[in-house]
Amino acid sequence: MGDTNISAVLLEKGNLKLEERPIPKPGKNEVQIAMHSVGICGSDVHYWVHGAIGDFVVRAPMILGHEASGTVSEVGEGVTHLKVGDRVAIEPGVPCRFCDYCKGGRYNLCHEMQFCATPPVDGSLARYYVHAADFCYKLPDHVSYEEGALLEPLSVGVHACRRAGVTIGSKVLVCGAGPIGLVCLLVAKAMGAAQVAITDIDTKRLEVAKQMGADFPVHVTTRDGREVADQVVRTLGCNPDVTVECSGAEPSVQTGIFATKSGGVLVLVGLGPPTINIPIVNAAVREVDIRGIFRYANCYPTALSMVASGQVNVKPLVTHRFSLEQTLEAFEASKKGEGIKVMIHCDKNKA
Amino acid sequence: MHSVGICGSDVHFWTEGVVGPFVVKAPMVLGHEGSGTVSELGEGVTHLKVGDRVAMEPGVPCRYCTACKGGRYNLCKDVKFCATPPTDGSLCRYYVHAADLCFKLPDNVSYEEGALLEPLSVAVHACRRSEVTIGSKVLICGAGPIGLVCLQVAKAMGAAQVVITDIDAKRLEFARHQMGADVTVLVTSRDGREVADQVVQVLGCNPDVTIECSGAETSIHAGIYATEPGGVLMIVGLGRPMATIPLLDAALKEVDIRGNLRYANDYPTALAMIASGQVNVKPLVSHRYSLEQALEAFEFAKKGEGIKVMIHCDKTKAL
Repeated sequence: MGDTNISAVLLEKGNLKLEERPIPKPGKNEVQIAMHSVGICGSDVHYWVHGAIGDFVVRAPMILGHEASGTVSEVGEGVTHLKVGDRVAIEPGVPCRFCDYCKGGRYNLCHEMQFCATPPVDGSLARYYVHAADFCYKLPDHVSYEEGALLEPLSVGVHACRRAGVTIGSKVLVCGAGPIGLVCLLVAKAMGAAQVAITDIDTKRLEVAKQMGADFPVHVTTRDGREVADQVVRTLGCNPDVTVECSGAEPSVQTGIFATKSGGVLVLVGLGPPTINIPIVNAAVREVDIRGIFRYANCYPTALSMVASGQVNVKPLVTHRFSLEQTLEAFEASKKGEGIKVMIHCDKNKA
Repeated sequence: MHSVGICGSDVHFWTEGVVGPFVVKAPMVLGHEGSGTVSELGEGVTHLKVGDRVAMEPGVPCRYCTACKGGRYNLCKDVKFCATPPTDGSLCRYYVHAADLCFKLPDNVSYEEGALLEPLSVAVHACRRSEVTIGSKVLICGAGPIGLVCLQVAKAMGAAQVVITDIDAKRLEFARHQMGADVTVLVTSRDGREVADQVVQVLGCNPDVTIECSGAETSIHAGIYATEPGGVLMIVGLGRPMATIPLLDAALKEVDIRGNLRYANDYPTALAMIASGQVNVKPLVSHRYSLEQALEAFEFAKKGEGIKVMIHCDKTKAL
């Protein structure tokens, strides 16, 4: 092809470099994609800074990036639903397809999951990348590459709100107004939630949340989970049916338990410390169910429909843009925590 | 009244004067696991008559609120629950109760079995909310009265294998030989991960459902570590208000953590199970006393020996 495949490689903790890699060829049921837009996620930054997330340790160089979209540049054997030139969003996790979880539809729990940029699996922050074709979703003409890349965090929001049982008339509390809190807010509203309250320690983030449709921004100024819960209930005028906890912070999880109405649901999206102190008896005797979230399954098509139909508008989430060559700068910006979503443009034209 | 079982909460109110937010501020009749014979009918009662032997579901909800109308009347904020302050219980000769919450016992169901419908209903509610079903592999933590009824209900629901843990070998023997546990695990470690490994080893796999009946923090940890991804950890046992737990582990494998408050719409099911012989709760009654011996009964229950202490309130003391 005469092209190069510049890739953003995490050589080891703290060492992120652009490297030339061979251009991968698509195998059976795979497609080769000329990458276009890749968003940076907190986990990418975490691997860069800490070299590990829980049991996943960076032991060998790994390409980062898992929130991605691009253009199909070559089609492998057996692929019929995509052709060269198709613009696609990439669902980054490819499960084994054979185990009980996969057969049961909860493929996100597959033990053999190959997930972009989760060691040891390479991500897609490169010029060219190969992926399972059935996990690539064709974007309609009016959906941009950036929106395609944003389908990843949006799918987390879809999975979270589904598992939370958000529905028409729901009163929802979202804890944390970072990118994940914001997509959960969007999805909750799209699902028909009557009122959404959102908490954060940062008033600027709350302003953005308000612009994105939050009914009640709640500024958190204390580490007392119960106090914040009272604040939320006062502001909302009732106990929320559902709380979607997106910060991982212990006081916030406690708030989720104290605030949620009896018989309601607390969903844990944010990942915090390995052990936390929670008012478990309060949750138990009020039948407040606690459900965790691990990525998503069967959510990408839904996320895509929502974006394509205009039901949700994720465009405002992108606040910073860099070229692939500026990857290190992009990661520095993301690490600082300014803005919301940093997007990297990998195509040579930087369109 | 005929038969009233003593529950851990009755003992707790007696010794501590409080259970959670409920404080004994005035004299209160104890007892909520009760059965007896209808001796007089109030106006409007048509489904019962004098002489009917009944089991009483002790919590009377308000019937008007959203929780009541939605079928989750156990969560009614104004529920009047026997022997939860300030509501009197039924440990006496005569007691009055909402008729629709009194269930007629068939001739083949004893008064004691009627009284045992209360803890059995806790188990029905817990197993239902955990989604125990045919083929389930179930871990039950704690082989006290509640663990034992959960064991029976899980088996009745078609669980393929039930493993039960306890720190007391005698309780485990009872669970295995009298209550149908497939496997038992004697807990000797305070390390939740160790206990979980033990369970998985003897069960041969990770349980789909864990029903935690002890309230002990270590046991909750074990439940989180042992349960299969996508499974359920049901918290029935109540321990200290705050617990330090590996919530991240549960969250990352989508092990849902659910609690229980008593039961709702479970008494009829519990009764049907006993009446049909699907479960056998008779062996649970280990000690009997007359109403006059109530204090002795409580002293014994407090010791924690035996399983269920039953108090007979009728003057003839018939079984």
